[in-house]
Amino acid sequence: MTGPARIAQGLLTDPARPLAFRFDGSEMRGLAGDTLASALLANGRRLVGRSFKYHRPRGIVTAGCEEPCALVDLIGAAGREPNQLATTLALHEGLVAVSQNRWPSLELDVLAVNDLLGRFLPAGFYYKTFMAPGWAWERLYEPLIRRAAGLGKLAARVTEHAAPAEIVHDHADVLVVGAGSAGLAAAAVLGTAGLRVLLADQDVMPGGGTLLDPRWSGWREEICRRIAALPTVRRLARTTVLGAYGHGVFGTLEALAPQERARFGGLRERLRVVRARRVLLACGAGERLIAFPGNDVPGVMLAGAALGYLRRYGVAAGLKPVFFLNNDEAYETVFALAEARVLAAAVIDPRPSGRAAARAQEAGIEVIAGAVVCRVRGRRGVRGVRVMGANGSTRRLDADCLLMSGGHSPATSLACQLGARLEWHERIAAFTAEPPSPAGRAAGAARGVYGLAAAALDGETAARALAAELGRTAPLLAAGPGLPSDPDATPLVPFWEVRAPGKAFVDLQNDVTADDVRLACREGYEHVEHMKRFTTCAMATDQGRIGGLVAAAVLAHARGAPLAEVGQVKPRPFLEPVPFAALAGGEVRGHYKPKRRVPLHDWHERAGATFVNTGLWLRPLVYSRAAGWEPVLEEARAVRRAAGITDVSTLGKIDVQGPDAARFLDFVYANTFSTLAVGRARYGIMLREDGMLFDDGTTSRLGATHFLVTTTTANSAAVLEHLEFHLQAVCRELDVVLTDVGDQWAQFAVAGPRAREVIASVVEGLDLTNAAFPFMAAAEARIAGISGRLFRISFSGELAYELAVPARTAPVAWQAVLAAGSRYGIRPYGLDALNTLRIEKGHVTTAELNGNTTADDLGFQRMLKKSGDFIGRALGARPGLAATDRLQLVGVRPVDRARRLRNGMHLVAPESPRTSLGYVTSSTPSVELEGWVGLALLAGGRQRIGTRLLGTSPIHGERTELEVVSPHMLDAENTRVRS
Amino acid sequence: MSGPEGAITLASCPADIVELAAFRARASDLARLAAAQDFALAAGGGTAARAGRLSLSVRPDRWLLLTTPAAPGESAALRREMCRGCGAVVDLSSALVAFLLAGTAVPEMLARACRLDLEGRAFPKGCAAATIMVQVPAILARLSAGMLLLTPATTARHLREWLVETSQPFGLALAPDATVSALCGESQT
Amino acid sequence: MLRIPCPWCGTRDEAEFRYHGDATRPRPTAADTLADFSRYTYGRDNPLGWHLEWWLHVGGCRRLLKVERHTLSHEIRWVGTPEASPAPEVQAP
Repeated sequence: MTGPARIAQGLLTDPARPLAFRFDGSEMRGLAGDTLASALLANGRRLVGRSFKYHRPRGIVTAGCEEPCALVDLIGAAGREPNQLATTLALHEGLVAVSQNRWPSLELDVLAVNDLLGRFLPAGFYYKTFMAPGWAWERLYEPLIRRAAGLGKLAARVTEHAAPAEIVHDHADVLVVGAGSAGLAAAAVLGTAGLRVLLADQDVMPGGGTLLDPRWSGWREEICRRIAALPTVRRLARTTVLGAYGHGVFGTLEALAPQERARFGGLRERLRVVRARRVLLACGAGERLIAFPGNDVPGVMLAGAALGYLRRYGVAAGLKPVFFLNNDEAYETVFALAEARVLAAAVIDPRPSGRAAARAQEAGIEVIAGAVVCRVRGRRGVRGVRVMGANGSTRRLDADCLLMSGGHSPATSLACQLGARLEWHERIAAFTAEPPSPAGRAAGAARGVYGLAAAALDGETAARALAAELGRTAPLLAAGPGLPSDPDATPLVPFWEVRAPGKAFVDLQNDVTADDVRLACREGYEHVEHMKRFTTCAMATDQGRIGGLVAAAVLAHARGAPLAEVGQVKPRPFLEPVPFAALAGGEVRGHYKPKRRVPLHDWHERAGATFVNTGLWLRPLVYSRAAGWEPVLEEARAVRRAAGITDVSTLGKIDVQGPDAARFLDFVYANTFSTLAVGRARYGIMLREDGMLFDDGTTSRLGATHFLVTTTTANSAAVLEHLEFHLQAVCRELDVVLTDVGDQWAQFAVAGPRAREVIASVVEGLDLTNAAFPFMAAAEARIAGISGRLFRISFSGELAYELAVPARTAPVAWQAVLAAGSRYGIRPYGLDALNTLRIEKGHVTTAELNGNTTADDLGFQRMLKKSGDFIGRALGARPGLAATDRLQLVGVRPVDRARRLRNGMHLVAPESPRTSLGYVTSSTPSVELEGWVGLALLAGGRQRIGTRLLGTSPIHGERTELEVVSPHMLDAENTRVRS
Repeated sequence: MSGPEGAITLASCPADIVELAAFRARASDLARLAAAQDFALAAGGGTAARAGRLSLSVRPDRWLLLTTPAAPGESAALRREMCRGCGAVVDLSSALVAFLLAGTAVPEMLARACRLDLEGRAFPKGCAAATIMVQVPAILARLSAGMLLLTPATTARHLREWLVETSQPFGLALAPDATVSALCGESQT
Repeated sequence: MLRIPCPWCGTRDEAEFRYHGDATRPRPTAADTLADFSRYTYGRDNPLGWHLEWWLHVGGCRRLLKVERHTLSHEIRWVGTPEASPAPEVQAP
């Protein structure tokens, strides 16, 4: 047998399939269909954990996701995973779980001394005590608190999660939350009306409350059959709706069933992002606790949970239960257990009388009316209770468990997130919340309509209304007459707390007592949200589901205000803990971000390139796997001495066409393009509206109304968006078409004194002489037989061409150039050599175009148009931006040529070495000049050319004397590029 | 290209792709000129096929024309000839890569990245849309032959790897290249 | 999460759009003062209530949309092209 408390056949458990598992080292047996909690209870295990703050022994309190206490660490192939809810964790063969927050063992926990010190550790204790001295928090207090508090230990071996989770996007006409009687009835109505329905339910099986009442099994099976036959209804089991995010968007978390898990390669969770036109909240109501001293002793459980364990798993929460309840609904547990021959020792009901109480008495069960539980005997398990009658007399009762119920609170979290206002109902002593129209509706117990039949009818009514809103007529479900009747119930009497000596908990997970709530009120934290933050009530993973309203009621009493006015805390997403893996979905590791590859990626790889990630791009850094600068300098030297070819396909390219193309470019660039001749290119700078430099690049005029804009690699997407925005928002009168052609064209720079000869042998029918094709010329050309484009532009400072061919043909053109250049010693060069060359030449890149520099700062002031409007014109002309002490672009070289530079090195005057005057933005060993060269942004830099400063890099412990030079350190007259 | 029920087939679709973008108030002129050359320009958010050539429209007053591959640039030059003055003609044959996904499980598989509702009633045959999938741009079009997917060339490998990996649990078969005429619903030659 | 009804593409997730700020202030022209440009570039109201703003549909049609959104409830009650404007609100007497 699988434990002494297994007294009946459960709805979900299969007696033919026993499973072995271990808890805290003990071998135990359960059944397929059990949760860890039901299997532990079946084995008679009551103590399952220690509490968060006081380390008090704790047991299983609920039978679902609202569980505050039965959290365990699960030890599996994926390592140790903390904070698993025993109440929802499906048992499987070989499961290993251990209890949390105890040392050395669950039975003997040293820190349980906190419980004895409890009067010195009230709410707010941390805030007040660990204040001073300041250093002590990090070094002393926090490590101590971390050891003492907290829940489980995280030690998951992340690498073993091949595919832990995925994200799926879903769409529906109606999202039905909850598959109890209301949700099932609603889904059937909506589906019959032809609407697309997503029916999300947390449980492993649909039915909700009907699973606990055998009279309902026929109805449930019939309606589930009907729903399964509806092609537009999808039912998601094990799926929790985590939050409502407005505009019909909901986050849900689906835990995969074992067979689904296997099919998806071990996938555990699926985060479904649902977009629904309407939502139907049929998420039921949750039972709440009563605050009385000792209401946390293992063996104290919600009455409804005990019914769940009996019906679902055939397990008795105890064999000698005592009940403490204030509502007729909870008597169902009394009757069900009695039917299974587990007779209550007594039912303690603070109400004077009631219909259910009368029925219990008829069945021979003692009901102590008008009484309360004022003490629980036992520490690691209930041994009995002390009952106090209306007249103050007390009485001792023996029991092995105490099943409590303080009434039921409709689940209002999702409705509140949708913007609903809470409404107080004295009839059920709870708040309800109706989602604002047109977001959706609530139905059944979720809006305070209790009783399975009443809820089913309410679900049907709500569904019919939603169908009408969505333009459908829904046929009558006709399930009404056949519904089992709801018991005739006497209304509850609101009952929250028994004030007697001892700790009466309102939040079991965060160890918050009713006294803590009163303390918060005394200290001035009278608002329910302030009370929450002061006490941490409802801030744990269970969001205070079973005690939040009780805490609010205690606060209301302390304030002397009605509970309706005090309200309850706003529940925020997520309604349940969500593993980070589920939020990340598939975008992890190789899929974390896309890799952009240049058209010649495979060639570069074969050529032995080392790649570097720049943004999304993989770019060849250097054609060598060897470390150090020598391979880079060899490539750069080839460019300066003979010829080199480099892949610049990553540059952004935007095709600009239309009658107003030139006018548009004049507006977006700080310099003029309307004067550019067809067949010519021009270097352009773009400013932001605040006058700062945004981007640079060459733009070519391919025809009277046709331009090709190139952007920096880093800003290509941003520039396109900037142009599209201004074209549509600001220049609406202009007729211009922008097309991103970045991926269409592969582009290569061929640079070096022999570049003309190399190009001449691959380009047909173009006169390449300086007269016919001078610096900054642009033309259509046939390159190695491919129709492409040729530009005479140079980033390296050498005689250079850039050729562009359709990306598909890139290998042909590239290899033709290499073949043609081999006799001149052409070499491919990577990003590092490109950088070396441009730094020597004083050309800027995103290191200098950093968003804080102006045209003037980088020496472009003469490029700015004198007339006409352009983006950045007005604010760029602010006098402050022309201040002579701004950071300006200069070149720097170490005085001792043997010393090196570092990017980020600060420039300081020797007499005030702690005042930074600027910093090195780019640096490289030079091929043309001796030693290192660098570019720097230096306060009043142009004035300082010719002076000496110190370059300091404290993290490297370096101080280097530098000379400040013109940024154009090589061929300032541009003779090479024009040669 | 038939697999087991629910299985997914993935094929590449070599195609010349040219974008036509009408200048202001010239969309109807452009459509007329295109029609004269046996191109049917699709309505917004749709596809149109004629004479073995496919057009999609996912941006207002812009069309992507898919034709059987010719020499690089040739298709674009022809189209430029066709609509001179009415709009911009831009060759995107190298900029976009086309895949064809077929099989009943394709919408379910794509829902792992695609935020659009690809269910049959919401996105029936003849529909086209631009969106973002696995962080990269994607154009989707539902054709009789399956779901056509166009994506930028430099991130196409990333997207293809994702498609292959994500399709595995549904059963994936790699199919031979699909021709543009097959996309148009004509039998493969 | 916002779902924005794009007039060209249909209702799409916020993730496909890029926010481009206040759509009620036109860019000053060359004749305007530095102060006007300063207000245009840096001045940002933070209204409680309805707000007209630019959203660029970069993940779809790449068209710029004018969107009227409630800054508290996030409700979107009007979306149009850059030229269009929502009907003026009927003032309660």
